[in-house]
Amino acid sequence: MSARYGMVIDLDRCTGCGSCMIACSAENNVPALPQATERTGLTPVLVRKVSNGQSGNGRRETFIPIMCMHCEHDTPCVKVCPQQAVEVDRATGIVMQMPQRCLGCRYCMTACPYHARYFNWWDPAWPQGMEKSLNPGVSVRMRGIVEKCNLCHARLHSAKEKAAAAGKREIDPADYVPACVEACPTNAIHFGNLADPDDPASKEARSPQAFRLLARLGTEPKIYYKSTQEWVRNLAEPSSAQGSEVQHG
Amino acid sequence: MKLSRRDLLVWSAGAAAGLLATPVPWKILDDTSIWSQNWPWIPQPARGPVETKQSVCTLCPKGCGLRVRMAAGWAVGVAGLNTHPLSRGALCPLAYAAHQLNWHPQRLRVVQHGTGSSSWEQARAAFAKASKEGPVVIIDGYPGRAASASFETYTEGRDGSYCVVPSPEIRALTPYESWTGVPADCFGYDLENTRTIVSFGTPLLDGWGTPGRFARIWAERAAGTSDPELRLIQIDSSMSRTAARAWRWMRIREGTEAALASGLARALLEQNLVPAHGLIPGTTLAESADQCDVSVEAILEMARNLIARSPTLVIARDNAPAIAALNILLGSVGARGGVVRHSQHSNLRSYAGSEVQNARAVLIDSSVPWNFVPQTDAEVFRFAAWDGGPTKADWLLPAPGFLEDLTDVPTPSASSVESYAVAAPLLKSATEVHSAAQFLSTIDARLIPTEKIIHNRCEDLFRRRVGTVHAHNAIPSSELASVQKLEEQLWQGGVWVGEPLPGKLPCRLKEWPSATPSSPADAWTTVWIPPVMPALSSKLYIESTLRDAPERRQA
Repeated sequence: MSARYGMVIDLDRCTGCGSCMIACSAENNVPALPQATERTGLTPVLVRKVSNGQSGNGRRETFIPIMCMHCEHDTPCVKVCPQQAVEVDRATGIVMQMPQRCLGCRYCMTACPYHARYFNWWDPAWPQGMEKSLNPGVSVRMRGIVEKCNLCHARLHSAKEKAAAAGKREIDPADYVPACVEACPTNAIHFGNLADPDDPASKEARSPQAFRLLARLGTEPKIYYKSTQEWVRNLAEPSSAQGSEVQHG
Repeated sequence: MKLSRRDLLVWSAGAAAGLLATPVPWKILDDTSIWSQNWPWIPQPARGPVETKQSVCTLCPKGCGLRVRMAAGWAVGVAGLNTHPLSRGALCPLAYAAHQLNWHPQRLRVVQHGTGSSSWEQARAAFAKASKEGPVVIIDGYPGRAASASFETYTEGRDGSYCVVPSPEIRALTPYESWTGVPADCFGYDLENTRTIVSFGTPLLDGWGTPGRFARIWAERAAGTSDPELRLIQIDSSMSRTAARAWRWMRIREGTEAALASGLARALLEQNLVPAHGLIPGTTLAESADQCDVSVEAILEMARNLIARSPTLVIARDNAPAIAALNILLGSVGARGGVVRHSQHSNLRSYAGSEVQNARAVLIDSSVPWNFVPQTDAEVFRFAAWDGGPTKADWLLPAPGFLEDLTDVPTPSASSVESYAVAAPLLKSATEVHSAAQFLSTIDARLIPTEKIIHNRCEDLFRRRVGTVHAHNAIPSSELASVQKLEEQLWQGGVWVGEPLPGKLPCRLKEWPSATPSSPADAWTTVWIPPVMPALSSKLYIESTLRDAPERRQA
């Protein structure tokens, strides 16, 4: 049975610490280049700060981690890629980006409604010796291609290898946990198989407080958010978030 | 048949269109794309068998448990250790890139004297000469380690002194030392059992204490998924990360935390919300409200919130007696869910500044924050793994970096129970580095090697037969067959955790602390800043706007 991996991020628990951003970059060998800026950096997970637009004691703020939403239906980036470098993996539901095929045309960046894709402007480089600290499970990508979150696909490979070595067909869910989920100090990110109705993440996704960003586009994103605060839920659709402020990362 | 120019053009156009229908151009495009992404100068990760080792983070004195992924002898990933009873699998953001710190461009690789380079022999000779000529002061930023014992031994009999730059968490506990006679580093906060936390500007969700400890407690209990429910009240002049997530945020004028604490104390006493204490703050409610730019009603409501769900614990950001005194009014000193004593022994000799006045030489350990600068004319020997920028030190001595040195990890500040762990050296330094304790042991033969001190401490723990060792499983100390078994567990990343010390603490105020704000503290006393940040931290403050850049935070 094919899986549909996704996340439910409890925004009431996110403290905006940024652990997910650092852990993601370390896991996926994303370089930190001195010339990178807010506009040109690579942040497969980007935590944005948002507020209800008020000042004084009435002000409320929250943090929203934004990454590839792994759209299930009419996936915009898949539709526009001229090189077939993006596809939705039928077995997992993960929107895969194949750097070897990518030509760097950036159509997918334009098509993505979530701005969750990043162009790799420079050759990856690390200070002398630091390449020894890179994750051997993930290859380093060349400049001139587009990068994004792939739900730590290398970890899925490791989990599959482990299951195969044990003679099992299915992986142990505990063996496949993306780096951002593992790093979250408040356990705000619930990861699992949304196609399994008994999976805790799947149950969270069905909560009345769960919502998806820009759900009206009909792309069926597999990243859900959850909040008890109405003003936060209203952020999901820009037209209903009058007065709120988003600090762009 | 004669070919015309027209035939040639038609044939060419047809061939071009036909070629597009074959895989040839697409395969060439694909291969070019792949080939052009495999340049030889693209870095290749280390190859080799991958294994995971457990350890404890020693970048700062908070003692978080680590899982370190190793390949070919190099650390290639860091994650939190779920079995660690204090950090509980969570780390601060910087720790996730800590394994890259050893390769940081600002890593100190050679001994520096003044503006030029020198050698370990010259540094050793200079320090030995200074030690003979006059008093030596050794300054430590992480007291209670085996290295700290070596520092004390070295200064004994040399007319020198050993002192400690305390962490902000320890400084916040200093008032209880003067009220109870118990050293400040023997206190901690019983966060696990409290039901209301009132934080006066303390960054509880932003790196305070052992970061994972409070983050996990808050996530489980503030969200109501685990009992008892926790209410976090943040009193802050701005919408901090902790304020954004608090149950209530009370906005006050900057620097008036002590005035608000006095107002709250007055409200608690005037409204008979707590038993009379005999003392009453001099500040009236109206004065307090005026200073803090809040209403009297807001202070009264906050006072009611303080006692609505007890036990209530008040936590200050720094040394603030007026704020700490609220815990006495609320009966939270020495009580479950309050300020508790975790240890009988103290290693704290807080740096006052006068120690270095007549010193011949000052040795600063690498655990001391980089921005700490002693005001002295003495010759300063500064150990550091990374060069944090301009310094007044005469000597800069390269110290071991992340997980490059054997060290023990005593009880982290703010912990409610005593703990002990060992961080084994998992990594090798590419250049010659020495810790301050190793450096001193080559000058003074009296000093006991770190391994021997750790062994002696393990023997002491084994003899006490109390507490639990948390390794892959939790093992009561009483069930360990020998001290070697205990050492084995600790060297493999386990942590020994003691039991809470019972009994109330007699705590009495002679007079109500002044609400006057203390003079602005030096930056090194209020916030722990690493000398350098891991390269990946740029994701937080350069490639996004999630956090302010370090220079803006220090400004």
